[in-house]
Amino acid sequence: MNSDSTNSPNDFQQDSNSQPPAGKSISKQADVDENLTKTANIEVDSTDDDADSNSIIPNADLNSLFLYLQANAVSTSAESNSDLTDVNNNELGLLEEKINHNIQVQLKTEEGRLLLILPTESQVPASEISWSEIWQQMKQRLNGSDRLRIPNTIVHLVAQDRLLDSRQLQQLEETLNEVQLQLKSVATSRRQTAIAACTLGYSVEQIQLQTSFTTDLQATPRALADALYLEMTVRSGGEIRHPGTVIILGDINPGGIVVADGDILVWGRLRGVAHAGATGNRECIIMALQMEPTQLRIADAVARAPEKSLIQFFPEVAHITPQGIRIAKAADFSRNQLSKINQSL
Amino acid sequence: MTRIIVTTSGKGGVGKTTVSANLGMALAKLSRQVALVDADFGLRNLDLLLGLENRIVYTAVEVLARECRLDQALVKDKRQPNLVLLPAAQNRTKDAVTPDQMKLLVNALAQKYQYILIDSPAGIEMGFKNAIAPAKEALIVTTPEISAVRDADRVVGLLEAQGIKKISLIINRIRPAMVQANDMMSVQDVQELLAIPLIGVIPDDERVIVSTNRGEPLVLSDTPSIAALAFENIARRLEGQTVEFLELDSPNDNIFSRLRKLLWTKIV
Repeated sequence: MNSDSTNSPNDFQQDSNSQPPAGKSISKQADVDENLTKTANIEVDSTDDDADSNSIIPNADLNSLFLYLQANAVSTSAESNSDLTDVNNNELGLLEEKINHNIQVQLKTEEGRLLLILPTESQVPASEISWSEIWQQMKQRLNGSDRLRIPNTIVHLVAQDRLLDSRQLQQLEETLNEVQLQLKSVATSRRQTAIAACTLGYSVEQIQLQTSFTTDLQATPRALADALYLEMTVRSGGEIRHPGTVIILGDINPGGIVVADGDILVWGRLRGVAHAGATGNRECIIMALQMEPTQLRIADAVARAPEKSLIQFFPEVAHITPQGIRIAKAADFSRNQLSKINQSL
Repeated sequence: MTRIIVTTSGKGGVGKTTVSANLGMALAKLSRQVALVDADFGLRNLDLLLGLENRIVYTAVEVLARECRLDQALVKDKRQPNLVLLPAAQNRTKDAVTPDQMKLLVNALAQKYQYILIDSPAGIEMGFKNAIAPAKEALIVTTPEISAVRDADRVVGLLEAQGIKKISLIINRIRPAMVQANDMMSVQDVQELLAIPLIGVIPDDERVIVSTNRGEPLVLSDTPSIAALAFENIARRLEGQTVEFLELDSPNDNIFSRLRKLLWTKIV
């Protein structure tokens, strides 16, 4: 869990070679531990905790150790929770999507404040998706809605329980400045992150990780998140995941994938993979101006595009029928039609 | 302001090094000061294409280890004094340098040269990251094949994430006859997918192979060829000139009749 302090912050601006070899081996060790937890049960989780706490004792005082263990306890319980939901999902016949993987960096407005929310370490363990991937997601999100942003908007970073050092925070500020955003405050539950943010002059908000929230996660169904509007080309290797509807002004190229809990609307060519209603909502639809997908998925249904490529393209809508996923001309498709189909199910 | 341009592709064998060598020469012929940087540590080829292999004494790794000065490692080209090559070490791997060290080297070169062309290795691992770290612009080289185009698409995404906004496309080894017969992706097909500005189309030409084996870049050859002309046009477009794209798909012409036509239009 503490491996992100030794992990290199970014694939592209990597400085792993300049790090002491000892630090590297520790992070390797933590990686291995994490991998074990992925495949094994809660018992292994506890050894994971041991390994982590062993490595943190030398440089942390008792107080922060206490905080750390507290945070860790939360994450362990959350992990077992999400394991349960995984099983449930599998029972539903869903594809091997994990709740964990639906969480990417979010940029959203709440009560007039622009929030940049990083996934918590229980949602995305530090070693599994390292800082570099979070960094890429963040850049993607920032570049994707560039045109609509008002210059010099103030951003509040919600770092959750993620460890950030002052270098990472500085990088973050520079990147935000490039797109004319100003980092003002940092909300964190980690002491080290709070100290780093303080020294850099941001206002710091200490947050408690909410245990109740994570337990609620599986009990009560959550409302979908706000729609995500992106102006970008999702290129090969690109991946957009969002717990709500996704609107893309641009193409999805082959090799790119968009996974949404709601609908997917592509104002452009859809040539990659689109998965609407990823949490199981069969009423979700996929719309595209030019529909030539590698694969379409709605809830638990999967469809391939016909082998023969079309000569003419017109806007189309993919939806679920009793026979599986079908594509209709957008002009002929109406919501009423869809609900009729669903009633006859 | 020095232009720092990386030539990259993702897939191997599409002609990154050939493009780097010829474009470097073409820019040098336009009397620009050009430095070619080989970022393909462990599998260097750029020196071979330029015919400079036997003149290498020091490499970038020695410069970084402070065993020699930067200007000692630079190999000058006798045929074209405006061009120098910073060779990569052949006895090391991609991990021998870091992105920060590459930035250091290139920034030092930027003091003296107007163009710095970095020849990236294939793949998207360490070597690629090293190559793109100092770059401000990128040239994507692709052939009209689905695998090359797919890899190019991935690389464009990575470059965008790295903050390199000025990305241009070079389509290499196109065969007009095959495109006409619908057996090969056309320039339009590739462009539609990648959605980045096109800066050059280079036809498939056997003489490229000959020039590679001889270590004489095509643009230096006395006998004109369409491919060399295409490289020179790219160099002029990099300079900001508007140059018409070569008409490659007129069906009944062979290379010579078209060359004659081109020469005629130049004279008239």
